Amino acid sequence: MTTLLAYLDPGSGSMILQILAGGLAAVAVTAKLYWNRILRFLRIRKDEPEAVKAEPASGSE
Amino acid sequence: MPRAVTPPADASSRPAGLEPGSFRDPESRVFYAGEEVFRALSPDGLSDFEALRGTGLLDDDRVVRTELVADGAAGGRAAREGLLVHEPAGVLRHERIPFVSYPYEWTFSMLKDAALVQLDLLLASLEHDLVLKDSTPYNVQFKGARPVFVDVGSFERIREGEPWVGYRQFCMLYLYPLLLQAVKDVPFHPWMRGSIDGITPRQMRNLLSFRDRFHRGMFTNVFLHARLEDRYADRPDQVKQEVRRVFKKELFVANVRKMRKLVERVSWDPPEGVWTAYGERNSYTDDDAARKDDFVRQVAATQPWNLVWDIGANNGRYSRIAAEGARTVVAVDADQGPMELLYRDLKQEANEQILTLTMNLADPSPGLGWRGLERKALPDRGKPDLVLALALVHHVAISANVPVREFVDWLSSLGSALVIEFPTREDPMVKKLLAPKRDGLHPDYELGYFERTLSEAFEIERSERLESGTRVLYFARPKRG
Repeated sequence: MTTLLAYLDPGSGSMILQILAGGLAAVAVTAKLYWNRILRFLRIRKDEPEAVKAEPASGSE
Repeated sequence: MPRAVTPPADASSRPAGLEPGSFRDPESRVFYAGEEVFRALSPDGLSDFEALRGTGLLDDDRVVRTELVADGAAGGRAAREGLLVHEPAGVLRHERIPFVSYPYEWTFSMLKDAALVQLDLLLASLEHDLVLKDSTPYNVQFKGARPVFVDVGSFERIREGEPWVGYRQFCMLYLYPLLLQAVKDVPFHPWMRGSIDGITPRQMRNLLSFRDRFHRGMFTNVFLHARLEDRYADRPDQVKQEVRRVFKKELFVANVRKMRKLVERVSWDPPEGVWTAYGERNSYTDDDAARKDDFVRQVAATQPWNLVWDIGANNGRYSRIAAEGARTVVAVDADQGPMELLYRDLKQEANEQILTLTMNLADPSPGLGWRGLERKALPDRGKPDLVLALALVHHVAISANVPVREFVDWLSSLGSALVIEFPTREDPMVKKLLAPKRDGLHPDYELGYFERTLSEAFEIERSERLESGTRVLYFARPKRG
C-alpha cells in the first residue's frame, strides 16, 4: 500500500478541520451553534429564541 | 524542499554545487554546475514532472522556466554524488533567479502576493489532478516585484482521498504571519526569522484576544484549528484512514478557494507618516538632491553593473537611478513602510529589476536552518559589484553604535565598488541622532577620520561636497590585494 501522504506531516487536527471547514453547511452550523452559545452565555438570548421574539424585552421591566 | 536557486559563494566545503537548502523532499534535489541550476528527480519525481509537463503549467509565467535536460552529463554527476537515495531518473535545468530572498525579508504585500501565487498554482494544478505537495513561501522567489514559484518538484499527482496536505504549513508560514501583521500590527519578520517552520496554530491562538476570533478567518483557521490539533494529536492513524474515506476533491478545491478569498482580503498599510514622507521624498527638488542624483547617475553609467545593493534605500530613489545602469538592484531598508510602498509601485510598473527587502543592516540575515546553511546569510547569496550607502552611515554608527571602522571593514569585505554619503557632525540629522547621547560619544564619527579609514580599504575615485556643506559623497573602488 502506498502511503497516503507525502513527506510533509499534514497534522491530524488540520485534516479534520478541512472536513469540517470544507462542508459549507458544517461551518455554518458550527458557527451558528457557537454564536448561540455565546449569546446565551452572555444572556443576550434566552434558551428559546422564539419566546424572546414574541415578547420583546417587556418581561424584564 | 528545494528552495533557493543561487549557489552559495562558499560552496567549496559541500559536495560540489549541492544546494544545502534542498533536502526535505526525497523526490528531488537542487544542485549547481557553473552558473546553471539543476534539479535531480527520483523515478516518482520524474513521473510527476511528466504529468506536469502535460498540463501546460510549465509555460505559466508564475512558474520558474524549466526544461528537462537531455544530455547525460548533469544526470551522471547527480548519480555519482548520491544526491538522492535512489538513482536519479531525470534532471531538470532551471532559470536562475538573480537574487535569492526569504520571507523574513519581504514586506507584507510581498508575502501576500507569494501566498496568492501558491494558492492560484494549487487551484490550477487541481484542475489537472495535480497538487502542490507543500505550501512554503521558501518555494517562491522574486524577480524584481514579480513572484515566481521555483519548486517545480512540488507538483505531484493527486492521490485518491487526499486532503490538502500543505494546509497546516500554509497557515504556519503564510496565513498566520499575514494575520499577525494585519490584525495585531506586529511585524511577522522576527518570528519568521526565528522559526523556520513558522507560527504553530496553538502559538497563534495564544497570541490572540477573545475578540479576535470574530475577525474573518480567525475562528476556523486559528481557534478551531488549534483545538482540533490538541484533540487529535495522538490519533494520526485513525484520522488518516477516516479522512481518506470521506475526503473528496471538491472539498479540497472548496477549501483552497476559501483560503484564497481570505488571503485576498487581508490587508496592512504602513503608518500615515510613512506615506507622507514617501511622497515628499519622491518630489524633492533642492540643489543637494539634484547633485546627489547626478553623482549616482554618473557612477551607474561608468560601466554595466550586474548586481547593485542599495542599502538604506528608503523610497528607492537611488535604486531607480542605479537600475538605469544595472541588471539587478536589491533595495534594502530597515523600515518596512517605505519598502512596502516602493514594492507596490514597482509591482504596478511590472518592474522585474528592483527587489525590495526589509532588513536591519546592523543585524543582517544570518545563515539559518539545518547546519545554518538552509537559508543563506545575505552576502552568501551573490556579492554585489556596486553598493550604494546613501544617508546610512550615521544611522549605523550613531543609532546602532557600530564603529565607523567596523562599518567600512564590512563594506570592504563585500569586494564591491562603493558610493557612500557621509553627513558631517553639523548635519541636522546627525545632530538629532547625537542629541540624546552623552557628550563626547562617537569620536570616530568625524569627516577626517572617516576619509582616512575609507582610503585604507578603498581607492577614492571621486568625492563631492554637496551645496549645504554638511554632506559629502564618495565613489570608491576596493583596493586589490
